[in-house]
Amino acid sequence: MARSNSPTIPTLKVTDDLTRAAGVLQDMQAQGTLGHDDRFPNSPPALFGAGGPMLKRFDESTLASRIGSQAATPPQSVKGIGNKVAKPDYSESKIVLAMVGLPARGKSYLSNKLEVYLKWLEYDVKVFNVGQLRRTRARQKAKLSGIKEDHTASWFSHDNPEATESRERLAQDSLEMLINWLKEGGNVGIHDATNSTRSRRASIEERVSKEKGISLIFLESICNDPAIIAANVALKISSGDPDYKDTSPETAKQDFLRRISAYEKVYETITEPHLSYLRIVNVGSEVTMSRINGYLSSRIAFYLMNLHLKPRSIYLSRHGESQFNVEGKIGGDSLLSPRGMQYAEALPALVTDNIGDAPLTVWTSTLRRTIQTAHNLPYPKLTWKSLDELDAGVCDGMTYEQAYPDDFANRDEDKFNYRYRGGESYRDVVVRLEPVIMELERQENIIIIGHQAILRCLYAYFHYLPQADLPYIKIPLHTVIKLTPKAYGCDEERYALPIQAVDTHRPKPKAAQSVVVPNHGREYYAVEPVSSPIPVPSKN
Amino acid sequence: MVAPLYTTASGLLFHAGKILVVTIGLPARGKTHISRALERYLRWMGVKTQVVSLGDYRRKILGGTQKVPPDYFTLGEKSPETQELRKKVSEGCEKLIWEFFGNGGQVVIYDANNGTRKARLALAQKFDKAGIHVVLLETLCDNKEIIETNIRSVKISSPDYRGWDPDQAVQDYYKRIRDHEKYYETVTETTWPFIRIINVGEKIMVNNIQGYLQTRIVFFLMNIHNKFRTIYFARSGQSLIEHSYKADSDLSPAGWEYAERLKEFVLERRAKSLEQRGLSPQDRKLVIWTSTHRRAHHTAWPFLATAQASNIAEGLPMSSSPEPSSMLATPGQHMVSKIASPVLNVKVVEKPQMLEINPGIWDGLSPEQCKKYYPEDWERFLKDPYAFRAPRAESYHDLSVRLEPILIELEKEQEDLLIIGHASVIRCMLAYLIGLPASEIPAIEIARGDLLEVVPASYGVHSKAFHFWDGPGRRVLGDSDVGKNENNFYENYAEDTKGKRKVDTPIPPEGDLAGV
Repeated sequence: MARSNSPTIPTLKVTDDLTRAAGVLQDMQAQGTLGHDDRFPNSPPALFGAGGPMLKRFDESTLASRIGSQAATPPQSVKGIGNKVAKPDYSESKIVLAMVGLPARGKSYLSNKLEVYLKWLEYDVKVFNVGQLRRTRARQKAKLSGIKEDHTASWFSHDNPEATESRERLAQDSLEMLINWLKEGGNVGIHDATNSTRSRRASIEERVSKEKGISLIFLESICNDPAIIAANVALKISSGDPDYKDTSPETAKQDFLRRISAYEKVYETITEPHLSYLRIVNVGSEVTMSRINGYLSSRIAFYLMNLHLKPRSIYLSRHGESQFNVEGKIGGDSLLSPRGMQYAEALPALVTDNIGDAPLTVWTSTLRRTIQTAHNLPYPKLTWKSLDELDAGVCDGMTYEQAYPDDFANRDEDKFNYRYRGGESYRDVVVRLEPVIMELERQENIIIIGHQAILRCLYAYFHYLPQADLPYIKIPLHTVIKLTPKAYGCDEERYALPIQAVDTHRPKPKAAQSVVVPNHGREYYAVEPVSSPIPVPSKN
Repeated sequence: MVAPLYTTASGLLFHAGKILVVTIGLPARGKTHISRALERYLRWMGVKTQVVSLGDYRRKILGGTQKVPPDYFTLGEKSPETQELRKKVSEGCEKLIWEFFGNGGQVVIYDANNGTRKARLALAQKFDKAGIHVVLLETLCDNKEIIETNIRSVKISSPDYRGWDPDQAVQDYYKRIRDHEKYYETVTETTWPFIRIINVGEKIMVNNIQGYLQTRIVFFLMNIHNKFRTIYFARSGQSLIEHSYKADSDLSPAGWEYAERLKEFVLERRAKSLEQRGLSPQDRKLVIWTSTHRRAHHTAWPFLATAQASNIAEGLPMSSSPEPSSMLATPGQHMVSKIASPVLNVKVVEKPQMLEINPGIWDGLSPEQCKKYYPEDWERFLKDPYAFRAPRAESYHDLSVRLEPILIELEKEQEDLLIIGHASVIRCMLAYLIGLPASEIPAIEIARGDLLEVVPASYGVHSKAFHFWDGPGRRVLGDSDVGKNENNFYENYAEDTKGKRKVDTPIPPEGDLAGV
């Protein structure tokens, strides 16, 4: 499937035909601008490239066509090589996603993954964790009044009426905060609580039904694999849960297990036939979905179905330095430079040393520089059209300074929203990569030999980085990045090979380099203290 | 040259191996509807797929209901002759399945009741041993209305009941279902990969599904519905530079006129067809999908302008700026514009996945120029216009893969939909809807000035084309078909072309009895 790294170059005979070429092509020939593509030395250049003679002439005619038209026309659009495009309107999507499940059944894991995925697609998502609210409020109460609430297992027992009422109120308040937040423009609010009884679910249903345009989905996570539960419990104890700040790990564990059994006594799995729900057993092995109607809802369901917990790593590497990298040109389909070839030769040893005997699949784009880089890797290979580099449209094959130099500052300022004329923006690339992310979640060990913009988008997904920072992520040449997904976030290792390469990173002008530190931990407090008894939306 | 995406050495797609989907369910539970829909989807993705219908096979070799012994459709005690007949039919089907796999087929959907556990497990084990992934697909239905509608609209028009009184046929069919019910065993064998669909998608259960293609099958099944809606397709208006992808040119004067005419015609046509069903266009929303290219979303502009005008006339506040353009959008200005109006409720969405097929290095070239400068590629393109990918370009297969998320969204959409698209995009989507083989996609004629109306129905779609406009961009003055190369699919590749063949809009296959 992979193309050989010495492609056959069709030798075109420049015949007399050429001189008879019609129209524009003849002009090109006369100007001697033929021969931009190394495979097709006599091919014509892109007629409508930013540097070509056609584009400017064409823009002038656009205005005339509007005047010549009898129809009402929208305001004249931008000329030149690109423009900024605003975010799509998701304002009609409003979903309350209420979690259902015993403690340590992976509810937070699922809600966290979902939050990352939907935010990467630019939906506004927020998790409203009842545990966080409880701790935050208790902390404030302790600060104000000096009374420390007892949050050991007995607080979670349904035989404790005072605490039960208190927990009930917390769940309600947190739902109110969530609904307020949806009304202010949020898309998906995740109500992260146990919601383990029919009556609790009925009260949530009743509350949400009062709001027009907000739909409700329950997401039940069931886990009957003792090993996974034990691991979840261990994670809870060891990850600095403030509930167990001053307790020994063993006491903490015992208390937490008691808390779980307090919930188990009253737990009712979802059987209400009229509810919209999604039930996931052992992360993806068994899934039930009932009355899932909207497109976003079914996408959420499908995403969660594809998750798995098997340990694995994802390796990201750009192609070796290409000829265009050396020349400072963007786009194109050039071959590797001599240094890039060295990288392709050194790569297999690095990868096999790291991964040992484990199975691995190589994904490349359809462009020659990635196929060439992957050529020596002794693993099965797949080419994905969706992994091709961001399409620079009319600027493909030019240096940044050519053609429309003014506009590059404009692009560097807000790359995520900037769409090249006849090409793509980073946002377009994220949309294009969505099926790739879906497949990556399903797969085990994968190495992607990709391109700068593509790897930035994938990296941002795994590290949960905001869109605005995404186009400025440093993905140097001749470096392998190893990502190992963990319950919350990813571990990262970088292996740089000592083969020199040009630096293709373009920092954001006039801005302090924001160093984005990925957050791996689980948050245990709502960031903004909630001081009033009336629920106010917290911001984090 | 790079092989088409995902083709493996065995010639199978997506590294997915061979898959046998075994349908399970009582008669009139929508098995055939789901089987045909799945077949259409997988074939469109380029996967060699075949439905093997036991009912069809039985009719072929035994004839209609009158010709089979009275105890044929009960699962209980049977005369030895009937048992012999049934065995002959199921063995014949099994043989068909093996043959299809043997001839390079990848997915078989075995459309039959498969109501007894013992028989279906024996079947599953047999194929599993041969290295074929078996997926059990059970359709349950406890909604009497759905069953009754299914029987009345599909079953009694089957050849089994030719010449019957409709009510008598319905009663006979119910009897057949009752006889099956006695012996029906629902799926409990959870060790097999299994999907259960209840009441046509109301509830779906999935167990142990692994592998790329199997997951795609599940996602597809999660999104299909059978509510009434209409899908319209129209080309975008003529643009200033028709044959360039990169130039992203604006509409020409003729293109602007076309956009106006399109709006008038769509609104008129939609009102008429909704009226026939006793529906009012005012109560329904029209969703318009365009690509992010100017010529496409500017063609939707008149819809927004009209909605805006009717809003002003009604004295309603505008819910957002009607500017449909994404050009130089300032923060806060949305790519989607929507206007709620009692007269026209319309929403325009720009989708980057719906861009026309990318011609790569051939951008801006005429067929003659392509042929001259890239003779080897040109030869290969002519040989296989569906799978061939020119340097930096997309093949139709690439385009289909890119459009797949849109197709799923189209299946899920419940509102009326107008797709203002590029010829290549409409070709792919239409081929899916009417069930044309992937290899024929490049040859589909999509003329500018035709509105295609597609209404999903039981086993496929009803489609009609309406011609509403003539002008530049549809036919060049003095242009004739004389001297044109019938194999020149490049004519279809770029935007300014007219294509070669008329779209066949096949009559949906005759109502079939689910395999019994």
